Amino acid sequence: MTVFGGWEMPVQYTGIIDEHNTVRNYAGLFDVSHMGQVFVYGKDALQFLQKIVPQDISLLKENKAVYCQLTYENGGIVDDLIIYNINKSKYLVIVNAANIEKDVNWLLENAKPFDVIIDNMSNEYSMLALQGPNAVSILENCGINIKNQPSFFTITETYINNVPVYLSRTGYTGEDGFEIITKNAAAPALWDLILSKGKSFGIKPAGLGARDTLRLEAALPLYGNDINADTTPVEAGLKWSIPLNKNCDYNGKDTIISQIQTGVQKKIVGFKMIERAIPRHGYEIYINNKKAGYVTSGGYAPTINENIGMGYIDTSFETKLDSKIQIMVRNKLYNAAIVKRPFIKKRYKIS
Amino acid sequence: MIVPEGILCSKSHEYVKEENESLYTIGLTDYAVEQLGDIVFIELPEIDTEFSKGEVFATVESVKAASEIYMPVGGKIVQINEKLVESPEILNESPYDEGWLIKIEANDFHADSGDLLEYSDYKDELE
Repeated sequence: MTVFGGWEMPVQYTGIIDEHNTVRNYAGLFDVSHMGQVFVYGKDALQFLQKIVPQDISLLKENKAVYCQLTYENGGIVDDLIIYNINKSKYLVIVNAANIEKDVNWLLENAKPFDVIIDNMSNEYSMLALQGPNAVSILENCGINIKNQPSFFTITETYINNVPVYLSRTGYTGEDGFEIITKNAAAPALWDLILSKGKSFGIKPAGLGARDTLRLEAALPLYGNDINADTTPVEAGLKWSIPLNKNCDYNGKDTIISQIQTGVQKKIVGFKMIERAIPRHGYEIYINNKKAGYVTSGGYAPTINENIGMGYIDTSFETKLDSKIQIMVRNKLYNAAIVKRPFIKKRYKIS
Repeated sequence: MIVPEGILCSKSHEYVKEENESLYTIGLTDYAVEQLGDIVFIELPEIDTEFSKGEVFATVESVKAASEIYMPVGGKIVQINEKLVESPEILNESPYDEGWLIKIEANDFHADSGDLLEYSDYKDELE
């Protein structure tokens, strides 16, 4: 067990590589109850959400989810989130564990002009993530008919074994799968049920260690590593998530739109080591022996058997695909090359 | 796991095993490799380099993190386990046999080994 954001959590059960491969090939079950659940209600819920993220929440249909960034006025990132439209005046916001308090304070501060209620339910709800190609079959074996399973980035309110849950087709692994939100009291039995119903489908419990290697291969940003108050969504390669034509104001809009239109000073890249060395968070990136940036996430990627990383590079340097860069590891430079992100093909079921 | 007779362990989890008068094998204890988890990279020193007791001579990286490995006794590197460079997982599977790290000619084994523990005492210290 390890302490993460004040929570005591398993880093691994059977071993990080074994759990990683199990999620890619069968299915893994993660206890991600540390994640925060914040409900936003009220007459002005939509206008309020429109003010705090660059994404256009007015386009979010009922039962749909959208990946968002909570931004400061200068475009820096407070946190990254998933926002669900539960119904017209009720939204669910999933936030990172380590940021719950900071986020809730930020929401409350921004909520002043609006008629909304911010209801932090993080301590009442638990969350399990069932991830991998066999997730659908396992849920079916738990009594949820395939027809009734939500589609990608959709949430439904349903029952598993008579326990009420929010069932969402989302995750943090690059695989198809679900996140299941339920009241704390029901969570342990649900964990046991899914593991037992998933046994014949090769399920194993998976910990924080595998969660990190899986999300790194899928190039999904980790708050605190790849994104923080000093990086904007555009610098972080999240431009794809930001509409240019959202016609109301939001925190950081000027910076974000200007960066999309005129470019950025630094930008995130993915890279693969050519020489044998493992890049880690905080290591320096060099180009032609000049310091060009820093690594934000890195490590061994079990699926492709390579050492990979992500990091920011000053855009005065060449950042095209296949460009050569060097990573400083224990005072020595090792060659690497810029490659496409994600490092693996994501296998979401988008239908 | 068969733990060889007569090994001495450091508090930083290296073991040293006497092969003959001056030749010693150095590796990581089973406790250390279990704590590290899946080992995916090992950097070993050059042959003929000399290290004093307590100096970093190698780096072992698991999926989780990089760890520095310290000389339990000082000496000159005479052999390194090159198999580990291609197949670091051998260290997880066999820390005392196939997964040894280096062999050294010790400078002054008796002076340097005073604070090392017999395996059973080392295990007791962990509890």
